[in-house]
Amino acid sequence: MEIIRCVGVTRKFGDFYANKNIHFSVAENEIKAVVGENGAGKTTLMNVLYGLLEPTNGHVEVRGDRVNFTSPVDAIRASIGMVHQHFKLVPTLTVRENVLLGAEVKGTINLAGRSVTLPLLSRRKGRAKVLELIERFGFDLDPDTLVRDLSVGAKQKVEILKMLYRSVDILIFDEPTAVLTPQEIDDFFDSLRQLKKQGKTIIIITHKLKEVMMISDSVTVIKKGEVVKSIETAKTSERELAQLMVGRDVLLSVESDHSASPNNPLVYEVENLSTRTDDGRKVVDGVSFGVKEGEILGIAGVEGNGQSELIRVLSGLMRSTEGTVRMRGEDITNSWPRGLRDRRIGIIPEERYVHGLCREMTLAHNCIAGYHYNSEFCSRGLMKRRAIEHWRDRLIEDFDIRISDAGGQLSSLSGGNAQKIIIGRELESNPDFLIAAQPTRGVDIGAIEFIHTTILALRKKRKAVLLVSTELSEIMSLSDRILVMYRGRFIDEVDARNVTRGELGLLMAGVKE
Amino acid sequence: MNIIRFLSDVLLYTSPILFCTVGGLFAYRANIVNIGLEGMMYFGGLASVLAIFFTQSLFLGIIVGMVISAAIGVLFSYFSVNKNANFIITGLGINLLATAAGKYILVEMGLTEINLINIDRVVDLGVDLPLIGRLPFLGGILSGHTPFTYLSLLAVFAAWAVLYRTPVGVYVRVCGDNEDAGVSLGIPTAKIKYFAVILGAVFCGFAGYNVTVEQLASFTPSFTDGIGFIAIAAIYCGDGKPLKSSLYAFLFGAAKSLAINLAVTYGSIAILLKMIPYLAIVVVLFAVEGVKHSRTNIRGISHV
Amino acid sequence: MKKNDPQRNTKAAVTLVNAVSPVILAFLIGAVVILIARENPLSTYWILFSKSLFDFQGLMKTLHYASPLMLTGLAIAVTFKAGFFNMGVEGQLLVGAFAAMIVGTSFPAMSPVLLVPLCLVTGMVCGILFAAVPAVLRAFFNVNEMVVSLLLNYAIAIFLEYLTSGPFRNPSSGYVSTNMLPDNAILHHLGGTKLTIFTFVALAVFIVMYFLFNRSRLGFEIEAIGYNPSFSEAVGMNVGRKILTIMLISGALAGLAGAGWLMSEKYAYTLSFSGAVGLGWDGMLIALLGAHNPAGIIVAAIFYATLKVGVQNISVFTHVPSEIIALIQAMIILLLSLKMIGGPNTRGYKRIESLLDSGRRKEKIG
Repeated sequence: MEIIRCVGVTRKFGDFYANKNIHFSVAENEIKAVVGENGAGKTTLMNVLYGLLEPTNGHVEVRGDRVNFTSPVDAIRASIGMVHQHFKLVPTLTVRENVLLGAEVKGTINLAGRSVTLPLLSRRKGRAKVLELIERFGFDLDPDTLVRDLSVGAKQKVEILKMLYRSVDILIFDEPTAVLTPQEIDDFFDSLRQLKKQGKTIIIITHKLKEVMMISDSVTVIKKGEVVKSIETAKTSERELAQLMVGRDVLLSVESDHSASPNNPLVYEVENLSTRTDDGRKVVDGVSFGVKEGEILGIAGVEGNGQSELIRVLSGLMRSTEGTVRMRGEDITNSWPRGLRDRRIGIIPEERYVHGLCREMTLAHNCIAGYHYNSEFCSRGLMKRRAIEHWRDRLIEDFDIRISDAGGQLSSLSGGNAQKIIIGRELESNPDFLIAAQPTRGVDIGAIEFIHTTILALRKKRKAVLLVSTELSEIMSLSDRILVMYRGRFIDEVDARNVTRGELGLLMAGVKE
Repeated sequence: MNIIRFLSDVLLYTSPILFCTVGGLFAYRANIVNIGLEGMMYFGGLASVLAIFFTQSLFLGIIVGMVISAAIGVLFSYFSVNKNANFIITGLGINLLATAAGKYILVEMGLTEINLINIDRVVDLGVDLPLIGRLPFLGGILSGHTPFTYLSLLAVFAAWAVLYRTPVGVYVRVCGDNEDAGVSLGIPTAKIKYFAVILGAVFCGFAGYNVTVEQLASFTPSFTDGIGFIAIAAIYCGDGKPLKSSLYAFLFGAAKSLAINLAVTYGSIAILLKMIPYLAIVVVLFAVEGVKHSRTNIRGISHV
Repeated sequence: MKKNDPQRNTKAAVTLVNAVSPVILAFLIGAVVILIARENPLSTYWILFSKSLFDFQGLMKTLHYASPLMLTGLAIAVTFKAGFFNMGVEGQLLVGAFAAMIVGTSFPAMSPVLLVPLCLVTGMVCGILFAAVPAVLRAFFNVNEMVVSLLLNYAIAIFLEYLTSGPFRNPSSGYVSTNMLPDNAILHHLGGTKLTIFTFVALAVFIVMYFLFNRSRLGFEIEAIGYNPSFSEAVGMNVGRKILTIMLISGALAGLAGAGWLMSEKYAYTLSFSGAVGLGWDGMLIALLGAHNPAGIIVAAIFYATLKVGVQNISVFTHVPSEIIALIQAMIILLLSLKMIGGPNTRGYKRIESLLDSGRRKEKIG
């Protein structure tokens, strides 16, 4: 029986169709996968189902009744719940408080034989309710832990509990496995099967086709806002889905020859580097590595294993507590960002709009940021406006940055084009060593190809590159050597030429034979 | 210096700071820095005094003070929640408006201060506590204060209970720590913020009543004396936690009491002693925030 | 750079509307208050403006009054623009004035060519030193600069009150005041008007600040820090040190304003040196009204000086208390905190855009 049906759902943003005339249905108690590329419109569709967006045209039916959600509360009332890719949890509250949030259990007292509800919370009763849920679904959680102390996998379970507490029958998961280790993914799939056994209907949005094949009952493929095909999983293959999704072979077309000479001189050396967070946790724990001329060193790992902090330390945004960093033999430990760029170190930061670009400033100013001290752009404390605009035009041309108004603000650029500004800025200044953190995150396929080609070209020019990425395929196709980071340390180093995805996956989960 | 007098004055001078601290920390926990505490207190005090001056009724004084300070709270939250205003500037605007309104009203009335001394009930508002009042030493410190001074102590525990033991309190903290999480579950975060600011404004109004009616029995144009900002310092030092912040409020109240009690002994430089509380707060802020800062390895400085 | 860029025009128009509408609203509310005081708001406002703008002597007086305001406006704008709040401008101004008074009265025989600059520079240096306290605490220990600078205002006011009424008191004066500056330290009126050299000093500072805001690397960095401090740190601006620089510039301007106001108007330090609201707080209104931009600040400073001069006439010609101006000022600040018109995606912005658009089309047709 159909539990959800989309009838001609269309959603426009300005002139852009994020969803166009979508017909799509989900059967009761099935696991439905919705697949598509970045920007294909999957998330928009799910946000429509969950009441976060209203459709421009068309409508949604739940159990045959036409519904009109204006907020997530409406969706939850119609027993649809969603687990977002970026969890909506309050880190400073406990598991119990997060699960009960918005539907708290209040204390009652007996007054003359009648029970009167107090405006106060009842911890005891709330705890009992949460515990009962945890046991029913076989989760391994303590209701009194603070959410900020939980692992990513456990946080996801809290999100699921939150929805189950509201007794939803339909659960939507947005990219649920993106931040999980392979082990956690197995665990998550077990939870999904458990949920299905209890009669829930599940929709997962993903672009990982292997997982689709493993877990789902049926698949709907979306491309450029339109449904390409809906099919039973048993009747299709990974290859077919890939072709439907992209319209061509999905294998990344840019691949390194992985042939760095082991005898090239060392450019960048890190020795025994450590740092601690504010609460004293040692998140980077004595890491050492060196990068040679003409080499791309990849650092792989599941998010949250210390890579972010490592990048921050290496790019001068965080102090190290121990260890040294050397550039061509010179000690640059704890240099400030300016000192790093003065020593010809280019930095592509992890968080594009936090550390890389300033949305409110002009394109030209973003193009020189970090290099604004150079005499080329600034003399005697005054900025050289003309030279800066020249430079901007050069970057726009050389890096194929698509923009409607060169004099405008950065905020008018798409993610891919914004990222190209950073790449252009850092590479056109001709660095000897490049730190590239998540260089293609949230960027469309065309730009990914361009960025990969650019990084490989740098390698050919005998420059050194440190590539930090959570995308396995990116690490594998570009790197010469790969270090796997786990809980703040490097668990192993592997040669990119003869390592398999499976082996890397195990290492990322902390398993080493 | 009389030690009993000193300790009793600690309570006296702490209570308005305490009200403002409690008032400010609700907004602070909901991620709104309310710089307008001082102005809200000022409006509360002014309204109470005017009401009592014209009606001779203490009860009406309290009610009018609450209503006016709550109205300022509504104004502040309308600006910062609905209109997305820069709440630092809104707060400063409220502070300036308060003093300007006070001075304008005084000039219109042809007075330099509004005196309530002639209203007999205002002069003697002290409450002699039963039992405790008869204790040696402690009795002299704790007994004989005005009702709102005692109320300020209760306010701390009330704030704690609301923040940690009621759903609304949880929602206030959700607004501060991850508003998105609240929105996704249908918690009306805008209303919660209104609640946090308006409740805080009423507490500030109590502080105004406490100082003007109970302590001075008059309205003078500079009666707030930076109390709102002292409270903000206490909130910063105490991370917006009711009990911890209140502890700092007591520390600052003690500095003020010390300055005033020392001044009795030292004639000519008495005026200089008035600097002590302000300087003490700067030193305490430096110590507390400096320690927090030294613990982090992350570089960079953020706004506010 | 194209001069007639429509996007730029829209932005400028929005800024203008955002600055002007709170002023109009505040005056409307002020009119209600005046009506309650049983006076005619129109004639009151006419007196307010006519004698300080449309009369030569009045205009010169207005420019004279605008001089310290321009400096305190710039002092506040330079920190606001970077997203920080030097609320101590008032205190730094008082320190600057008092220090200039000490130097001036100590060397009565020195030639004015030396004494005048010495007094001004002393004022600046002391303004810097006093601003250094919140600046250092913020830059190196992350202590909130707003609270610290506000509390220090209270402390310094008490300290100066002590000095004025004790060690530095002029015993022959009927009220609490320090000794008068010697003639050599006084900036004299020019050509029978209220204008003094101080106005030109302020204008020179304005020109420097204009370049600093619009052309210099520091101006670029201030803008970046104001928008996004994390980004600024990541691209090597060393935000802590920049905050220090910015706060010290702010202190210097405040100190200069105080010294100049002493030497061109007050001649002695009194307890009401800075006026009822305080020149430093006036500076906040001016910075906000001028949208943190030097050209805007100069207009705002003159506008506000007009009020200050005009209000002296109000109390002469009407029964409206001069405190009405403080009321209007506070209202303007309060209303300025709202952006009447928000960013490019709001309805108001689009309406202005289309208004300008239709205007342009008409131009073409015509």
